[in-house]
Amino acid sequence: MDQDTELARRAAAGDAAAFTSLVRAHEGAVRRFLARLARGEGADDLAQEVFLKAWRRAGDWRGEGSYRGWLLRIAWTTFIGAHRAKGRQQAREQAAFEQQSDVRRDADCAIDLSRALAGLGTRERAAALLCFGEGCSHGEAARIMELPLGTLKSIVARARAALVERLETIHD
Amino acid sequence: MTEDERIAALFAAPERVPDEAFVARIGRAVLAEQRMAGARRALWRRFAIESVASGAIMAAFYLLWRMSPELTLEQMPIAPTAAAVLVLFLWLGVELRPAAIGK
Repeated sequence: MDQDTELARRAAAGDAAAFTSLVRAHEGAVRRFLARLARGEGADDLAQEVFLKAWRRAGDWRGEGSYRGWLLRIAWTTFIGAHRAKGRQQAREQAAFEQQSDVRRDADCAIDLSRALAGLGTRERAAALLCFGEGCSHGEAARIMELPLGTLKSIVARARAALVERLETIHD
Repeated sequence: MTEDERIAALFAAPERVPDEAFVARIGRAVLAEQRMAGARRALWRRFAIESVASGAIMAAFYLLWRMSPELTLEQMPIAPTAAAVLVLFLWLGVELRPAAIGK
């Protein structure tokens, strides 16, 4: 039994200290994924919501796949819920972000990533972040995003092609 | 640099130590959640106990009325006294139970 499994089992039994250890181990990945996905807008609030959901549903994790993958799945569904609720507000933010991105032409690699991702749809962005950023396998990313494997693979291929194109544009 | 290496470099994130402030924030939220769940459970328990108590009072009144259907409540002096004593005991039972006095 690995450390995450043991901690998750204790958290499911109501051990808050064990859950805190899980938060400490995975907050970086969850917050990075959400920050890149939501472009920083309210990412920490979403991350808090993700961890609270994980605490409430601690008994639901059956040890299939990694605990981090399970958290990223909650993060994805939480983001999608918030994204849908935001609706038009999100579109306005994206327009503002892209405008802002155009101004920062001398930006470093992190800003390059934001600019490269800004051109992608939500699903392409999430798939790229999971496969290229978090090192998830296609199978794991498909489980996180609740998509068939074939669909996920074509989304990743589309995202990759778009990223390469965006990178060339940015660096030209 | 190949395209894959460029993409990998683009997504590379520097290693960092855990953000203890965020961990503490989640710890506080979990604690608040635990307290709220405890308060919710106590509320439902109290509601259940008081519902039973109210039901018992109504049953007592019904039984007293059935004991002597030809008499009105005013003609039967034992009934109000018995009902009052019953209510008093039920109230004491609810208010002095261990959970209510913090034991």
